[in-house]
Amino acid sequence: MGKSWLRGYITKRLIYAVIIAWGILTVTFILVRVGPTSPADRYLANIAAGGHDVTQAVAAIEARYGVDKPILVQYADYMGNLFQGNWGWSFSTSMPVTELIKTHWIYSFQLILLSSLFAAFLGILIGIYSAVKQYTKADYTFTFFSFVGISIPNFWLGIMLILIFSVKLGLFKTYYDTTLPLFSIDNLKALVLPVITLGTGMLAGYVRYTRSAMLDNLRKAFVTTARAKGLPERTVIGKHVFRNALLPLITIIMFDLGSIVFGGAYLTEIIFGIPGLGQVSFNAIFANDYPVVIAVTLIGTFIVLLVNLITDITYTYLDPRIRYD
Amino acid sequence: MTERLRDIVRRISRPPSNSTRLINYYWQRTRRNKLAIFGLTFIIFLVLLAVVGPFFTLDPTLVDFENKNLPPVGFTIEQSVYNTETDDFITTKVSGTWNHPLGTDSKGRDMLAMLISGARVSMLVGLIATGIAIILGTIIGVLSAYLGGWVDNVLMRLTDIMMTFPFFILLVLIVFIFGPSLVIIVLAIGLTGWTGTARLLRSEALSLRTREFITAAKAMGASDNRVIFRHLIPNVISLIIVIATLAIPGVILAEAALSFIGLGDPTVPSWGIILEAGQNSLRTAWWVAVEPGIMIFLTVLAFNFLGDGLRDAFDPKSNI
Amino acid sequence: MDNVSLKVSNLRTHFLTRRGIVKAVDGVDFELRRGECLCLVGESGCGKTVTALSILRLFDSPPGKIVGGQISYDGLDLAKCSLRQLRQIRGKDIAIVFQEAQSALNPVLTIGDQIIEQIKLHLPLDYSMARDRTISLLSEMGIPSAKRVLSYYPHQLSGGMKQRVLIAMSLSCDPQILIADEPTTAVDVTIKAQILDIFHELKASRQLSTIFITHDLAVVAEIGDRAVIMYGGKDVETAPVSEIINNPKHPYTSGLIECLPDVSKTADRLASIPGTTPNPIEMPKGCAFHPRCPKAMKICKQQEPPEIITSKEHKVSCHLYT
Ligand code: SF4
Repeated sequence: MGKSWLRGYITKRLIYAVIIAWGILTVTFILVRVGPTSPADRYLANIAAGGHDVTQAVAAIEARYGVDKPILVQYADYMGNLFQGNWGWSFSTSMPVTELIKTHWIYSFQLILLSSLFAAFLGILIGIYSAVKQYTKADYTFTFFSFVGISIPNFWLGIMLILIFSVKLGLFKTYYDTTLPLFSIDNLKALVLPVITLGTGMLAGYVRYTRSAMLDNLRKAFVTTARAKGLPERTVIGKHVFRNALLPLITIIMFDLGSIVFGGAYLTEIIFGIPGLGQVSFNAIFANDYPVVIAVTLIGTFIVLLVNLITDITYTYLDPRIRYD
Repeated sequence: MTERLRDIVRRISRPPSNSTRLINYYWQRTRRNKLAIFGLTFIIFLVLLAVVGPFFTLDPTLVDFENKNLPPVGFTIEQSVYNTETDDFITTKVSGTWNHPLGTDSKGRDMLAMLISGARVSMLVGLIATGIAIILGTIIGVLSAYLGGWVDNVLMRLTDIMMTFPFFILLVLIVFIFGPSLVIIVLAIGLTGWTGTARLLRSEALSLRTREFITAAKAMGASDNRVIFRHLIPNVISLIIVIATLAIPGVILAEAALSFIGLGDPTVPSWGIILEAGQNSLRTAWWVAVEPGIMIFLTVLAFNFLGDGLRDAFDPKSNI
Repeated sequence: MDNVSLKVSNLRTHFLTRRGIVKAVDGVDFELRRGECLCLVGESGCGKTVTALSILRLFDSPPGKIVGGQISYDGLDLAKCSLRQLRQIRGKDIAIVFQEAQSALNPVLTIGDQIIEQIKLHLPLDYSMARDRTISLLSEMGIPSAKRVLSYYPHQLSGGMKQRVLIAMSLSCDPQILIADEPTTAVDVTIKAQILDIFHELKASRQLSTIFITHDLAVVAEIGDRAVIMYGGKDVETAPVSEIINNPKHPYTSGLIECLPDVSKTADRLASIPGTTPNPIEMPKGCAFHPRCPKAMKICKQQEPPEIITSKEHKVSCHLYT
């Protein structure tokens, strides 16, 4: 089957993504720059303590960072630089923003990846089981716990895990050890609590989505056809029902990735002291380090947009009926 | 606060629930769901607690260093206390007392009193921010659907942008820039949280717009305003109730999360603020972090149970 | 007995629902003879489809359950045998064609995949042999460019094509028995004629015993050898088709025949039997048909009519003949 329309569609979506990213960039820029704070603020105490003239010093610092110019000029400068691949200079860490992101993204990535895998794998399995056993004790139990899972504040869960497993039982360190090599058992062990913290809410969500998507399809006529062929129940559920349930499931999972994962990962990184982009952005906000704030927001946005696009494309292969115009 | 609401979109569409019979019908359907009833009971209890509780408890701001870090009743912990006479630390066993049934924090403030006044804050934040988000979302969604054309286009692109924005980062940014006061927090959550509602209501209104009774009202010469407020909105009321119920826990969580990372209003002891303080004293007083967390958790759980029950009750397809 | 390929005796399939026990099938007897086309006839809700599903236990369980009776096939009681045994019969010995081809095919799998899957399950063929078999089956069903159709998804085919695909699928493992559940209901007149043609051909070309389920006596008259008329979860009259059409005994059967649109008379409306099908949770006492029966007597309300054999090939359950 030809997918020739797909290329045009992707182009359109990419242009659309750029427009949205530009919108978000602008909003963030305005928010950061109209704020009543300036990059010089953090030096004020030092300047005053050093007996210098505060106004003069502030002006000097602002000139140094280019924030004394009219906001429109700053905006134009920033956009121009961005297009040349220059994301700006991080005041608070004294390095180019691109450098900063290069060193830190991997920590966010490993956390989100492991949590998603953990949550999706278990969540889908439990969801399928729950749907197949609808209205049994097992189903009720899983449903109840999925409610618990989506209701438990993940930052609190993180603290409770630290309290029980680190403080009381001493099984894990309370803080993520940044000196560990990335691909090592120790690193995996250090990530156990963070992954549970971030993954539990996702897991609970996946259980619920999978269950309802499976239930939507379990009573369809084609399932009876599959059984009438003499297929074992494993194939009926795993192939015929699940392939159909997968479609809505993928949309929801991808959709959630944007909000739950980024919000949740942010907090999880802060609780466990994981130096990922969430932590970086968090520190940058408090340090008024606006190029970093904008950059991280932008990266988050791009990932969401990209994931949405990939979802749509995957969809066309999973659901032959789909055609975007 | 919107992600879990998407699956409602294709569901609820029932006649307006303005007659007592319909309300009764929905109540009967909700009542069958035990978890929803548990949720409702807990929420009513919590509201009562938030309203009248503070009259019966100690002053939540009362600092009492004599009685700091007291565990809850039934617990005994070891505490090292500085002895002024011998000028060193001695380890003593401390047990909870009925004066402070849930213990005290590191400043000797009564946990029970703080949690109850925290309930007030959290409920207020939850209700007001949700209210703002829902009203905004409803207006935008209904306008978008009803006016169509370029208005629809602009509003929906705006919604797209807002939805793609990493929600929590945006929230942190706004609250940091404008300062962590309760008003800002409520406004920030309310003004960023409307997108899901707008989407849902737009699609709902679009499908309702074409139904006969709207056409009939228009044919009879009803004005646009009248059509929107008399016919469209009552029809989406049931949808809104469900959205609101499921949105409140999201707001409570967001406020708590903000407080937790130090962007809460330091003058108002919300659960998030207490929790944040407790995080730092995990080793000496675990209950300070545990108790507010349990309250947040139970409240969110209760709203989720209720919201889910209501959604099923309003869903004509579900057969409960 | 050797002539009988499947025998259903006193089959009772109930559904335990919140509102009560639905006795969808409540005592059905019939036998399917080798090579014949037996029609199960009745209005919707009479239990004919559940009867068909019960043979392979394909109804949802829970809530459905076979609570009594026997389904004898090849020395086995399909009502009680293990699921494992049943699975070896499903699709291989007994195949079923469903009513709505639209929903009976899996929308996200290709036609080829769906048929080959079944062949490989039951026959010792490798993929390419199964594929060849599928292609020849599809062409046999009159599907043009069968090879291309293998990679099609159901939505790319018309309703009639889908129905043919379903029939091809059911025949893919050379079954002994074919159950067709209203294969002509959801399609238009032309396709209906084509599908009936296919069944005619099948009858001629294969040694196939068919259970054909329909509410349409015209279809019965065209392809049926014998017919079982069902009402309220029971068989009320069983006879060869010519007998049923020309000499109906049960008032319900007569009603159905009167309702047939008669081309010779210019009927300005489609007649139908007055009244509604009974509530399956609270079946009327006595004869389930009595509220609608023009010939109902006092006894009909109190006693269930016995089964009366009026001739060697004709039996009826009605008080009129006691
Ligand atoms: S038993 Fe009585 S009610 Fe039933 S069909 Fe015969 S005559 Fe009619």
